[in-house]
Amino acid sequence: MASLFGALSIAVRSLYAQEGALDTTANNISNANTPGYSRELPILTEAPPLDTGQISIGNGVEFDGVQSVRDNILELRIDQETQQQNQLQSYVNSMNQVQSLFNETQSAGLSDALNNFFNSFQQLADNPTDIPTRQGVISAGQDLAAVFQQTGQQLSNIQQGIDQQVGQTVNEINSDTTQLATLNEQISCLQDSSEQAGMLQDQQYTLLNNLSQLVDVAVTQTNNGGLTVTTSNGVPLVAGGQGFALSTETNPSTGFQDIFSQGSDVTSSFTGGQLAGLLQARDQSIPSVLSNLDNLAAGIINAVNAQSQQGYDLNGAQGVDFFQPVVQPTPGSNAGAASHMAVAITDPSLIAASSSLIGYGTTGLSLTAGTTITAGDTLTISQNGNTHTTANTLTTVGALMSDINTWGQQYGISAYLVGGNLQIQGSAAGGTMTVTPGGNFTTDVGALTPGTQGDNGNALALANLQNQAVVNGETPTDFYSGLVSTVGNDVETATDEQESVGLVLTQLKNQRSDTSGVSLDEEAANLIQYQRAYEAAAEVVAAINELTNDVLQEV
Amino acid sequence: MGIRINPDLPADMLAGLAEDRQQEDQAIQELSTGLKVNQPSDNPAAVAGYIVNSAQASAVNTYLSNISTLQGSMQEADSSLNSVVTALSQAISLAVEGANSTMNASDRAALAQEVNGIQQQILGYANDSFQGNYLFAGTAVKTQPFVADSSSSSGVSYVGNTGVNNVDIGDGQTVPTNLPGSQLFTAPGADVFQALADLSTALTSNTNIPAAENEVQTAFNYINSQRTFYGATLSRLNTATTFLNEESVQLSQEENNLVGADMATAASQLTQAETDLDASLAAGGKISQYSLLDYLT
Repeated sequence: MASLFGALSIAVRSLYAQEGALDTTANNISNANTPGYSRELPILTEAPPLDTGQISIGNGVEFDGVQSVRDNILELRIDQETQQQNQLQSYVNSMNQVQSLFNETQSAGLSDALNNFFNSFQQLADNPTDIPTRQGVISAGQDLAAVFQQTGQQLSNIQQGIDQQVGQTVNEINSDTTQLATLNEQISCLQDSSEQAGMLQDQQYTLLNNLSQLVDVAVTQTNNGGLTVTTSNGVPLVAGGQGFALSTETNPSTGFQDIFSQGSDVTSSFTGGQLAGLLQARDQSIPSVLSNLDNLAAGIINAVNAQSQQGYDLNGAQGVDFFQPVVQPTPGSNAGAASHMAVAITDPSLIAASSSLIGYGTTGLSLTAGTTITAGDTLTISQNGNTHTTANTLTTVGALMSDINTWGQQYGISAYLVGGNLQIQGSAAGGTMTVTPGGNFTTDVGALTPGTQGDNGNALALANLQNQAVVNGETPTDFYSGLVSTVGNDVETATDEQESVGLVLTQLKNQRSDTSGVSLDEEAANLIQYQRAYEAAAEVVAAINELTNDVLQEV
Repeated sequence: MGIRINPDLPADMLAGLAEDRQQEDQAIQELSTGLKVNQPSDNPAAVAGYIVNSAQASAVNTYLSNISTLQGSMQEADSSLNSVVTALSQAISLAVEGANSTMNASDRAALAQEVNGIQQQILGYANDSFQGNYLFAGTAVKTQPFVADSSSSSGVSYVGNTGVNNVDIGDGQTVPTNLPGSQLFTAPGADVFQALADLSTALTSNTNIPAAENEVQTAFNYINSQRTFYGATLSRLNTATTFLNEESVQLSQEENNLVGADMATAASQLTQAETDLDASLAAGGKISQYSLLDYLT
């Protein structure tokens, strides 16, 4: 049977329920700008009716707690896009540093030094015996070596900077997974609809979103509200109340940190998040740039050295290496060629500007055409398979020269005097010439030395290396332009992708806001609604109070 | 209840603003650097082309500098040879004069002296140098190529060499830079110094003057024919210079096409970006100023 006091208790319960709803609205309004907050709805349910015989009377409202409005699938989609976004972002940031080293249109990079170096050989060809010009070649070589060294060094520095970021990222991941494990434990002890559970879940999803910025994650929800988190390749991160920390260990061969989980190396297993972007730059893109740079340096060093050895220096000696030769750490690898590039010679006269056109000269003698020599003194001249020994009856240098010239004319070989020294000039196309003294000449002309006499053939050949396929089948310029455009392409592609992922992410976040965001208009409307309901319930209490008063006065 | 609208408008607006600002930055960068490619990722293919292009431009400049160096020495050599030719024609007149039967011994001795003077003069031309390098020494440009030598029948010995250097004046195009002095002045059968020495002797002894005159004439013809090398090379250098200058202009046009900014486009992009930005900011200023709460009293 219905009673006044029954009505009173219904009204009071309604007061409680509206208070709970008002609290929820107040909480929503307070958290309108809290990141990761999902708006909450009060759960109001009809209280079970009171059955008295055949009559059933409603028993008011009950406040059954609050419920967070969250689309879990949407949250996971956001996390996935966040992983990709942050992977691209950290990759682009790292590679932007790399591309700034090759910013040719802003005059950074190797182009200028490369062109100047080969042009210096052109200038040498214009004036092959000029010492300042030769010094210019050495300076241009040193500049080129310095630019290679700096670029190689800066690439290594960028790699080391990224390596430090890898360490920090791993620490951040571990901190997030530890907190997630703690939350898992707390949530498993709570009722699903309690206000605290909603708050913890908000924190859970916020942490998960943070973690997604760092690393790729795959999430499964357990029955008790906990989250099991692994990377997409199955590296465990969180299971129930347990977090699995990642650890780092320096790899002795690369000098960079490898990442370990449960004792096994998982460095190459990450596919998303900041960590994957960093590792991609550190372990793939930069090593590839560095190796191309090394190949370019090695190609130039080897070609210039080989060509130098084919020529002759200002003193007529066989050419020596212009650059320090490449030392391959393992066969086939040019690693370190760029950062160790250096010019090997300091004496400008050692530059092998002259080609195989080679003259032999006496030094230390004072000869004129009329100088007497002893009968029996001979010279044996040999070039390109043609050999001639002078007659052993000659008594003047003039006769000796004419003997040589008579024979040599047909092969482009000639003899003449320069400042008291006999010179024998070989044919330009004839290859290396040898002159062997006989008779007294073995002692008199002991100092028979080769001379190059200002020939510039090898300087031209050195200059033309710029147009030769000396680096992996390409000219240095083509190879270098390929290197730069590859770096540019990597950054461009990643930036474009980042932009499109960014658009998707913005849309998804808007969608989340649509669902979970706090709308102040809506909350204001709710406020009025709950306030009115509260006032109405209070009126009911007042009415019952009056009624009971009336009853009491009747008594 | 209808569709819930995203209540978090400021976040949306910020994304839009960031995009507008980025476009504004891009336009300003293009205008300030004059380049539309300011880093390799702006257009990797254009940057690759730019590198090859600038290597070519640098080579063209070097070829032009090679040519200008070479032109100086070639002109100097040509003008020396011109003087030699003039001197030789003078010697021929002296020979004609000396062959005249009216001349007496002392007249001829005076002519022989003049011929000796001409030989010395030509020796000076043959030792001519340009910027410290002897022009007719073969490749031994630091050695004076012709020296007075009493043991030689002509009184002069060649101590240079027979080398010829080449320089690049274009991709795969080379020109020889010199003729060795031995080829010019002491060629067998056309030895300038020998011819003059012989003429001097002939005038002094009044024997075989016509033969000696003939010898000088041969030397004169020979030098004249050799001289064409310098004229021909100089004209080749002029042609090459014209070509290289055109190429240089083309290369810089190409460079501009590859990486240069179109100022008009960049300026209008800047205006567009600024307009967008203003509009976004104005719209942003209107957001979130009011909610239903403002009207509850």
